[in-house]
Amino acid sequence: MLGGGLIPRRPYVVSGPTGSGKTILAMHFLAEGLGRGEAGLMVTLDEPPNEVKSNLSAFGWNLDRLKMLDATPDIKAHKRQRSVIDVGTTLDVRDMEQVGEIRQSSGIRALEVSVHGIQKMLKQEYFGHLERTKQPYKRIVVDSLTALKMFSMQGEDSRIMIQSFLRFLSELEATCLIVSERLKPTVIETEFFLARGEIRFHKWLDGNVIRRAISIEKYRGSRFDDRIRPITITNAGITVDSQGSVSLTAGRLAKLGDAYLEQRIGDEVSTVIERVMKLIEEANKMRVSASDVEHGISRAMLHLHRKNYQKALKTALNAQSVLRERLDRAKQGLPPPPPRAVPPPPGVRK
Amino acid sequence: MNDGKIKTGTPGLDRMLHGGFVPHRPYIVSGAPGSGKTVLSMQFLLEGIQGGERCLFVALEEPPNEIKQNMRSFRWPVDDIEMLDGNSDVRRFEPTPVIEISTEVEPVKMREIEDRIRKTPDFESHEVTVHSLQQLLKNTFIKRRYERVVVDSMTALKYFCMREFEETLTTQSFMRFLAESKVTSLLTVELPESGDVPPETFLARGEVRLHKLRDETGIKRFISVEKYKGSSHDEFVYPFEIRESGIVVLSAEGGKAPAPL
Repeated sequence: MLGGGLIPRRPYVVSGPTGSGKTILAMHFLAEGLGRGEAGLMVTLDEPPNEVKSNLSAFGWNLDRLKMLDATPDIKAHKRQRSVIDVGTTLDVRDMEQVGEIRQSSGIRALEVSVHGIQKMLKQEYFGHLERTKQPYKRIVVDSLTALKMFSMQGEDSRIMIQSFLRFLSELEATCLIVSERLKPTVIETEFFLARGEIRFHKWLDGNVIRRAISIEKYRGSRFDDRIRPITITNAGITVDSQGSVSLTAGRLAKLGDAYLEQRIGDEVSTVIERVMKLIEEANKMRVSASDVEHGISRAMLHLHRKNYQKALKTALNAQSVLRERLDRAKQGLPPPPPRAVPPPPGVRK
Repeated sequence: MNDGKIKTGTPGLDRMLHGGFVPHRPYIVSGAPGSGKTVLSMQFLLEGIQGGERCLFVALEEPPNEIKQNMRSFRWPVDDIEMLDGNSDVRRFEPTPVIEISTEVEPVKMREIEDRIRKTPDFESHEVTVHSLQQLLKNTFIKRRYERVVVDSMTALKYFCMREFEETLTTQSFMRFLAESKVTSLLTVELPESGDVPPETFLARGEVRLHKLRDETGIKRFISVEKYKGSSHDEFVYPFEIRESGIVVLSAEGGKAPAPL
């Protein structure tokens, strides 16, 4: 879809709603690099490394040599005298195979994450790694910038911080994938317009199946496939059906159909309710007791109000038939039948 | 028809603007990310270069080396376009001397731009503010006369360079400065995917808007002239394509309305 891949040494954004496959894509990217002997680094801000590890174990990739940088913040120490130290001062980078249990928050000091800390930490690790192995990191994943923005930029001017962070990443000359959730479509988020490309994940409900798709929204300096392509996530990871197509309109049409159906059923319920109201009036004139029916109809109205159309229709029709039967008997001069057990109102238990 | 207007460099757009831009005024190119703003503004400069004018590209969003690489696939003769690197350095948190960009940077011709990104020096870092950029441009304009200037992008300028300034007022003053400098300038503005249009668009003398729509068959691109002071223009929205040769507006029917959207 990208016409061959990503242009190296630039930052890109991977966006999409939660659970659409962003982290898996990022892992694909790192695994590909490891397969080629390129060093990769994963900066995790959302999930602790042990969770990332166990989540990905299902895919059976060999990620043992992947470096993980744990930048998840500790439990906040609420007592004042405890000193809070920046995560940048305690560098915690390890190979994927060494990742064990969740790191326990230290009793005395709590690690806090700030952009500055991460930047410093990344820099130390980058040059440390370069010195140790004479090999720079070629691929870096930051998962996710949304977390960084939400937790680590309190009080700072986040636009400038992100600009600076992206500049920092591009100066490292590694290809970076930045995972970010798009929060609001009305706001231009800094990372989206600064990144050199955006891969967007889509997730939506089609009937009762969750469908996923992927699209390239922007890709500077290259042509790309501009359609939305369906994806499947299996044990082998993400597979893009590069020939398949996604009909966006089907969902919209279905929604339109649903709305129409809803309106029809709503109308139906209100006519039935009206009819029953007339019957109740009639019953009152004939001195036939209708209090249980009144009760039933008020419940039907409640259901209608809550847009619970199915239940509303059922209750209203039931009330209607009960009352009709009773009125017919009254007209024939028969004694009213014993009152049927009305189901208890919702929320009341016997 | 062509009463002193200058060509935009984009085939088809001149027809929509009934000849081109009125010179010495600031114009806006707006659009969603990835809609083609940078390409359009490059074509604007290219047209100037081919007419022997001096052109300046102020890069605030991307490092110049990447712009150079990106434009390579179009095979345009862009070597003579001058590029001003207005990207702020990595911010430092330790107290280090912050140098305002106006004291250091000079425009560089495209052909001299290196392939690798400029690194933040170890002991000082550049910071770009509107004020320093304006100062820098002023000095540059005094030394040499430029006909066409592109600022890519105003959104970056607003986001990163106006920390202590009131945004709309400062934008207005920046545009005023460009108009007084007697350059024809094209400013790119990022539009959000939905919602309100940023206020910059009210301030310019004209706005060319790029639209990006998605359907099953891919991304469709459209162009429209939203406003153009001092000239008549086409009211229609035309489709356009980004081809090997750059942006081509498909308004060949000559003033006829394209198929409704």
